[in-house]
Amino acid sequence: MSEIDQSDSLGQSDLLDQSDLPGFCRKPALVLGVGNILFGDDGFGCAVVDYVEAHYPVPEAVCLLDAGTSVRKLLFTLCLSAARPERLLILDAIDAGRTPGEIFEIDPAEIPPVKLDDFSMHQLPTSNLLRELQETCGVEVRVLACQTGPLPEEISQGLSKAVAAAVPQAAEWLVHEYFPRAIAPRVANNFAAPYVQAGGIV
Amino acid sequence: MAKTLVIQPVTRIEGHAKVTIQLNDAGNVDTARVNVIELRGFEKFCLGRPVEDLPRIMPRICGVCPWSHHLASAKACDAVFGVEPPPAGKKLRELCNSVAFMEEHILHFYFLAGADFLLGPDADYSIRNVIGVLQAAPDIARKVVKVRHMCAHMLEVLAGKAIHPQAAVPGGFSKPLAPADRDLLRKQADDALDLAKFSIAFAKENVFPKYLDVVKSLGVITTGFIGTVKENGALNLYDGKLRLMAPSGSCQDFPYDRYTEFISEHIESWSYLKFPYAKQWGEGFSMDVENPKGVYRSNTLARINVCDFIDTPLAQAELVEFRAKFGRPAQLTLLYHWARLIELLYNAENAIRLLDDPEITSTETRVKVTPRAARGVGCTEAPRGTLIHDYSTDANGLITNVNLIVGTTHNNAPINMSVTQAAKSLIHDGKYDQGVLNTVEMSIRAYDPCFSCATHRLDGKLSVKLDIFDADGKLLDSLAN
Repeated sequence: MSEIDQSDSLGQSDLLDQSDLPGFCRKPALVLGVGNILFGDDGFGCAVVDYVEAHYPVPEAVCLLDAGTSVRKLLFTLCLSAARPERLLILDAIDAGRTPGEIFEIDPAEIPPVKLDDFSMHQLPTSNLLRELQETCGVEVRVLACQTGPLPEEISQGLSKAVAAAVPQAAEWLVHEYFPRAIAPRVANNFAAPYVQAGGIV
Repeated sequence: MAKTLVIQPVTRIEGHAKVTIQLNDAGNVDTARVNVIELRGFEKFCLGRPVEDLPRIMPRICGVCPWSHHLASAKACDAVFGVEPPPAGKKLRELCNSVAFMEEHILHFYFLAGADFLLGPDADYSIRNVIGVLQAAPDIARKVVKVRHMCAHMLEVLAGKAIHPQAAVPGGFSKPLAPADRDLLRKQADDALDLAKFSIAFAKENVFPKYLDVVKSLGVITTGFIGTVKENGALNLYDGKLRLMAPSGSCQDFPYDRYTEFISEHIESWSYLKFPYAKQWGEGFSMDVENPKGVYRSNTLARINVCDFIDTPLAQAELVEFRAKFGRPAQLTLLYHWARLIELLYNAENAIRLLDDPEITSTETRVKVTPRAARGVGCTEAPRGTLIHDYSTDANGLITNVNLIVGTTHNNAPINMSVTQAAKSLIHDGKYDQGVLNTVEMSIRAYDPCFSCATHRLDGKLSVKLDIFDADGKLLDSLAN
């Protein structure tokens, strides 16, 4: 590793105050719904966040965020931050060859440690960042994924029926695992209905 | 005789860079191709939607540069509706642009491309990561982290939310800046300026001199350039006219809504990404490294080249020094990094200038809009290059056509040429080593490319693969790290 002359560095012990850090760095548990709501089932993670916010009181110790397509920037910030959550949950959609709507966990440590390029933040892979958080930064990282339905021919907003049905299920799992005590939902209804893609069953 | 290579496409949601190198009979590089996947279908997705939805939709094209798409979209909407935002609305947009630029440039220099310089291009990949850079220079890294957080916080104060901005609307900006918030941001802008000044001084003393040989040789090509300038020729990253500079340095300026008269797009069978070129030069298109035709570059180096001057004092002083060393236009690809730091400085100074402007706290930030049948073009400089949004609407204001040219698309031909040049310098008589992959990566990384604006993958598949073929089309080697 090359040695870097830091004699011109900007501050001696320039440790960050807690108040300098964004909120998502400071709470013990961070839940990020990721994906693009415009791209069909890719919006699963964001839909789960919406559902939890609408149906459950979110405890003070939990930061629940719809990260959308900006998750890499948030994870990057976590890697660099002086304070980090103890636990991180990623909610995401993935095509893993399972049954559409199936919910399963992915361990970042199980993802093959093949170099993924670092040309730009566009290519900085989430899996690398998650592994760094887990292995180097001591954050417990879990990924809850939902198997997507078949790729449609055209991009369209809205979840497929199978994935929409998985949203309340994933929300309940999340609440059980990450909220400090068992919390009953505020509203019991089929909140997943608006997420079904136009055109009906996919 | 060399065979024709067909690069098989991958699914549209993957981020992927595949480099294919074709050797000739002598074992030297004939061509190198960088196949990137452009997300298709987004333009079609917008058809039939109310045009005012697009500034809310477009930030989701790219989670890394949402502000650029947000602002270009808002400007296209202004043009469609035939309105001019009030001065405060424009200045707030420009302020957000400057802050977003700072956040991006800081990240890129220190943690992405910076790893090439801070850790060395041959550093073991196990330390070429975020934590590795942090450990190599902890004091610097902490300050960088703080300023980066601060830029994100500034955008939240300005726009109400940090992720997927919505504050720029057709006709202006939805949220005026309160004086108390302006005072807070003003202090933060000073911190950003401190880091910008430090960054370029640090790089000129500790980083660039060590790698001057690499800078002078890696990925070096000769092209034209494109960027935005004000009417007086000053650098501007939010608004102005487009300037197309030929390799000779001669320039053509034009309003950005006439871009189709100056730029055309070439298509290759082996790439989903088109190859824009300067049709106004009348020479056609060729990516021959020795004799390119019509090829121009976008992004930081291009903007520094095309502007006549920078109207903020510290950045202007750096520009003068830069041009004294490297001339105008400067062609060395790795100078993108140096240019990026000049832009960082400019954006910090520009943010301070805008925050000191009394008009920035005006409550008149937007005008009303009325749907009509029209075409409107919005153009802004994204950190990665000139970004064009081109919309057409019917009488009800519903989208009938969308065309987007993103920053990296302009650089598609130059990236291919730089990789060809890098590969040619490293592979001779059929001989090469693993280091060729690192060096090819460096030449691509300088452009800070936007290979995919779609979702990420969690399955760990590699994103870079370098295939080397002999003259008969036989795969000799496939390098990937």
